[in-house]
Amino acid sequence: MSNEQLLALLPFMVLAGASIVVILMIAARLSHTAIQVAGFLMLCFTVLAMGYVRDILPQEILPLFIIDGFAALYTGVIIFSVGVVGLLSYIYFEEREENPKEYYILLFLATLGAAVLTISRHFVSLFLGLEILSVSLYALIAYLRNRNNAIESGLKYLILAALTSAFLLLGMALFYMETGSMEFNAIGQKLAGSDPGVLFKLGLALMVVAIGFKLALVPFHLWAADVYQGAPAPVTAFIATASKVGVFAVLMRFSLAVNLQQSEFLLNVFSGIAIASMILGNILALRQQNIKRLLAYSSIAHLGYLIVAFLPGTREGIEASVFYLFAYAITILSAFGIVTILSTRMKDAEDLSVYRGLFWRKPLLAAVLAVSLFSLAGIPLTAGFFAKFIVLLTGANYNLWLPVIVLVLTSVIGLYYYLRIISTLFASAPAAEPRHKPLHPFFHFVTYATLFVLMVMICVLGVFPGPAIEGIRQFLMIR
Amino acid sequence: MHIYLLQAVTQNPDSSYWYLPVGLQLLFAIAFVGLMMGVTHLLGPSRKTADKLSNFESGIESVGNARQPMAVKYFLVAILFVLFDVEVIFFYPYAVNFKSLGWEGFLAVMMFVGFFLCGFIYIIKKGALKWED
Amino acid sequence: MPIERYIFLAIALFCIGIAGVLIRRNAIIVFMCIELMLNAVNLLLVAFSKMHHLKATAANATAGIEGQLFVFFIMVVAAAEVSVGLAIIVMMYRNVHSVDINFLNRLKH
Repeated sequence: MSNEQLLALLPFMVLAGASIVVILMIAARLSHTAIQVAGFLMLCFTVLAMGYVRDILPQEILPLFIIDGFAALYTGVIIFSVGVVGLLSYIYFEEREENPKEYYILLFLATLGAAVLTISRHFVSLFLGLEILSVSLYALIAYLRNRNNAIESGLKYLILAALTSAFLLLGMALFYMETGSMEFNAIGQKLAGSDPGVLFKLGLALMVVAIGFKLALVPFHLWAADVYQGAPAPVTAFIATASKVGVFAVLMRFSLAVNLQQSEFLLNVFSGIAIASMILGNILALRQQNIKRLLAYSSIAHLGYLIVAFLPGTREGIEASVFYLFAYAITILSAFGIVTILSTRMKDAEDLSVYRGLFWRKPLLAAVLAVSLFSLAGIPLTAGFFAKFIVLLTGANYNLWLPVIVLVLTSVIGLYYYLRIISTLFASAPAAEPRHKPLHPFFHFVTYATLFVLMVMICVLGVFPGPAIEGIRQFLMIR
Repeated sequence: MHIYLLQAVTQNPDSSYWYLPVGLQLLFAIAFVGLMMGVTHLLGPSRKTADKLSNFESGIESVGNARQPMAVKYFLVAILFVLFDVEVIFFYPYAVNFKSLGWEGFLAVMMFVGFFLCGFIYIIKKGALKWED
Repeated sequence: MPIERYIFLAIALFCIGIAGVLIRRNAIIVFMCIELMLNAVNLLLVAFSKMHHLKATAANATAGIEGQLFVFFIMVVAAAEVSVGLAIIVMMYRNVHSVDINFLNRLKH
């Protein structure tokens, strides 16, 4: 391995090192605050390392990894989400757990898994990344081990995710049988022009099931609502953003390598999945009274929208999907940030009744939540609107009329339940609860500031999306 | 650089002759189990009386079932054992190709062991291996 | 032996695993069935690796090596999955005093 290749891996090595550093810090019995600060510094180092290695990209590290602009963009979105999740976690876990420190090991490991997914070009690295991500997620979901809900959702996710990993592996094995290779590009070359057998098609179907499960697309979405509800709120934010970004990135890279979009049949399968996700996600969200479950169904619908950008399989599609994921990450992070802050010691703030009249009690939080819901609904002047707009544009350019029409129609349905929450925010206030003094004034300030920055970002991306799109375009040139 | 993993005989792969080792191993396994059970039965002293078969709790009549669940400590050690045990399989390919991998391979394995050591330090410091509270 | 026999065996093991996951109600047995599925895939990968090795051994002395390498990683990942899974099952046992997955029904809308 040459020096440049090693250097290109630097951000990932820093990320992997971060979990080791945290392990040793816990062994040395340092405080939660020290670990939180060190973790944040490690994330900053990762970002710095990414900036530092930018000039030597693209680098190919045969046979496992490829680090190019595409990977850098998706990794950037992942690191950004994890930074926000980490900031939100401090108060949440400080209040609830007697040992909140191991959380950061798991968080860094999960991040590493998601980041490895974005750079993988081989089945082994794909599988390892996916499993590092999911094994840490099992533990993260069940982290608050005194809560029955957390254990239940952890076990549900564990069984289903392990089952789908087995499906994915069988799919990979059948791919390997047909092509004799595990590299994406080599598979693509072998498959071009050949007529694969029935076992190979079975393998393909199994892989679609596994990827659909990880992205929580209909009809493999059944875990989503339960896991979103049972997991601690910051972990839910992580599942909704970083884990999905990683899996989507590897899906994109794989399908580009094997020219998945050239096959009429597969294109139909994926547009069917997208349409089903958009419709069912929005309809199931309509009657939800639990905001975590509601956001789970809304995320199913949003992943459906995202698949519309995946369908063309061109550079415009990638651009649209990166912008969409970035906007979606900011939006859903601010929504879950509010859930995290409002959660009490015993219970997460998941009932809609908690949010009744929030505007009159805590106007800043209500404003952030309202903006993020507007963005999820796709109201103009928010990031969500523009993201949906470019996805629509890409779909329309490639004559994907049915998914595009469904996207527009289901967005209208979505508007109903987002607006329902917003109207709750402004309803007449119940008697104000006694204010108790926050325990960690500095971290409270940091959390509020983070949420405020997220809100500003949503608005700025909605009004001036040009620079962001230009940046994405420039990164995608690196290949 | 040649890397050898599992080596199997390639000539005459269909001949049932090649199943002989498997059959031998099976025989050995059965014989070993039988031998152990028989020998312990013969060698061990066995004097059975009614008093000896009853539970002994310092002279007091025994109460309840003796088959209580194992302490959780045991479970923790068992899980840690599984993890540390399975990681050994990464040493196997290294051991087979020890010479051809040279110093670079040695460095890589040392790194792997180093990371592992960090985990070990962590569980020691956490007191996961302490039996007495 | 022809490759079809390996494929039949592996698929049969895999299906037994799926049936176990769907039918059994004991969380630990469900877990064992998932392990069975993973091991079926391991068997398949080793068989394919050998097949590709024999097919292309003249051109490339290390042909088919990926399959066997992959098996090592699957084993390790399976062990990690089991240890985390057992830990969660023990926590479930402490909370509800059972490892029956029918007890996992409290999360509803």
